[in-house]
Amino acid sequence: MVTLTIDGRVAKVPAGATVLDAARAIGVRIPTLCQHEALEPWGGCRLCLVDVTKKEWRGWQKMVVSCMFPAEDGLAVATATERVVATRKVVLDLLLARCPDTPLVQRLAHEHGIERTSYQPNPEPTDCVLCGLCTRVCDSIGVSAIATVDRGAGKEVAPPFHQPPPDCIGCLACAEVCPTDCIPYQTSDSARSIWGKTFTMVRCPHCGRAHITREQAAFYAGRGGVPESYFETCDACKRTQMAKTFTSLSAVR
Amino acid sequence: MNGRTCVDTAPLDEILTRYPASEAALIQVLQDVHRAYHYLPCDVLVKVAEALEVPLAKVFSVGTFYKAFSLVPQGRTIVRVCTGTACHIRGADRLIEEFERELKIKPGETTADMGFTVKTVNCVGACAMAPVVIVGETYHGGAEPAKVAKYIAEKEADHEN
Repeated sequence: MVTLTIDGRVAKVPAGATVLDAARAIGVRIPTLCQHEALEPWGGCRLCLVDVTKKEWRGWQKMVVSCMFPAEDGLAVATATERVVATRKVVLDLLLARCPDTPLVQRLAHEHGIERTSYQPNPEPTDCVLCGLCTRVCDSIGVSAIATVDRGAGKEVAPPFHQPPPDCIGCLACAEVCPTDCIPYQTSDSARSIWGKTFTMVRCPHCGRAHITREQAAFYAGRGGVPESYFETCDACKRTQMAKTFTSLSAVR
Repeated sequence: MNGRTCVDTAPLDEILTRYPASEAALIQVLQDVHRAYHYLPCDVLVKVAEALEVPLAKVFSVGTFYKAFSLVPQGRTIVRVCTGTACHIRGADRLIEEFERELKIKPGETTADMGFTVKTVNCVGACAMAPVVIVGETYHGGAEPAKVAKYIAEKEADHEN
């Protein structure tokens, strides 16, 4: 365990935890956009900036992204110093210029006293904050169907050649993880479409619920060495089956 | 895929023999592909992705990130007119006009015979030689509009050889 202070309050967290983890553990709120508990920290959105210092630094302090900075013994963290707040406001001001119509960005900006961007608002408003969660979740699944394309002002998330992505399995993880819900998709009992690609749904042979795409089943089967039919049964029916198997075991009886 | 053209894959096959099948080789392979084809053709990128075992989305991401790569066919010779501060002051605009007149194309465009593409660049780090024009691999320091026709003719002679 390591012991540090955050805004004067003592936090004890396991070694390897980040400053953000420690802050959350004691209920100190630090805004984030690109952080997700299921993914490696990325440090891209710069909203979680905090000031850190230590006694032996003799008054020196530095601004770090709390989502990546490891908690250490004796670390003193300040989450709302003047320069942290000022820097965070610049980030939010810029985000609001990029995404003037996005409720999440408007809310975060409002919480920091910004009602309107001081920059020229984006003439082509977008809801994408380029937090990279969608591309990172796709990478972490092992699919990597989408990535960021271009750079600078023209940077966007897109499939290769802006065409329906051949590698996409239609799992919708990118759309689910998107903090601004800006990845459009359609899904029904018969078909699903995302990124311009259409998928056939697989129905659970037991309850008939369409819960997975054919491509998802094939991908998971290939990755795990489990037969594709295993993934055709939905999770609820798998649990029922498992329970039945257990109750029929002679040892249980 | 839209706009896809069939290209000869022999140069790509030769390039791929020189590198290990790893993501680390991606940029070098793309640079060599760019040198061989003068752009990154879609179907070549698909083959690069397969050969290096890198997701196609990553290959496309890298290919669109760097200014040095183009996804549209380019001329055999790229003319880069520096428009950095020093070159701008020393008359880069007049050089661009002269290339426009000689080649009948605007910056960013390619001649119909696929001989030349003219681009403007923001600084090539040779400000002491301003204004600078790079024709293919040849740097012309102290470039003059009156010499533009000569720069082009020299390169055209190379194209014929």
